[in-house]
Amino acid sequence: MIGGGEGPLVREIHIAAAPEIVFAFFVDADKLTRWLAAEATLDPRAGGDCLQVHAGSEDGRHGPVHMIGRFLEVDPPTRVVFSWGFVEPECGVPPASSTVEVVLEPEGAGTRLRLTHRDLPSTQVDDHRRGWTQMLERLQRATTRTTEDR
Amino acid sequence: MVEPRRREILRLVRDGELPAGAIAAHFPDVSRPTISQHLRVLRTAGLIAERREGTRRLYRTAPGGLDDVRTFLDEFWDSRLELLKAETESEQQRGDRGRR
Repeated sequence: MIGGGEGPLVREIHIAAAPEIVFAFFVDADKLTRWLAAEATLDPRAGGDCLQVHAGSEDGRHGPVHMIGRFLEVDPPTRVVFSWGFVEPECGVPPASSTVEVVLEPEGAGTRLRLTHRDLPSTQVDDHRRGWTQMLERLQRATTRTTEDR
Repeated sequence: MVEPRRREILRLVRDGELPAGAIAAHFPDVSRPTISQHLRVLRTAGLIAERREGTRRLYRTAPGGLDDVRTFLDEFWDSRLELLKAETESEQQRGDRGRR
């Protein structure tokens, strides 16, 4: 199903640049702001801050959002793992709730990049469904009790 | 893996309802039956809603559909990794030129 499922989100791409160059774009704030975020404060060592400000939508319907993460593993130039979550509750991913793992392997003259985004919250659609089920269960309990009381 | 055209369709109907014809017109290189198939899959997945008006079929984002965190992040990482590829490759090329 599109966008569904509970497993990790995985992306794999080939980049015609050396792993060292690609790695720097995850740990150097000046470089990270060229592709991922509008602003960044990065302390690339285990336990170090990984803070990013993501710009709002172009139509101005959504303001900027703040990603509060922490580097969990930093192993240049092959692997970097950071936690991923937003201050804004409407983003649906609370701080420290999910992790992004990036693995870089040499491939020809370039790099094979595999990004795995794990522990994403179950979808809102599922939450609605869960809420609905709970309501039915409550309703069922309530009606059962009324019958027993009689 | 999400079919890129389906993501593009989701983006098109995010801000308002569109007739099937207008959606198909955005993909001049894709056949109409293929677009209909994409619309059917998206509708079955609960991501878009269909409404009929005479002979026209109109589509819009289903409530809660595109707000889905998963769908958003699918699109987010695809577009960001494309940027990363462009930026790192031009950085590599600059480095290669510098060494010559």
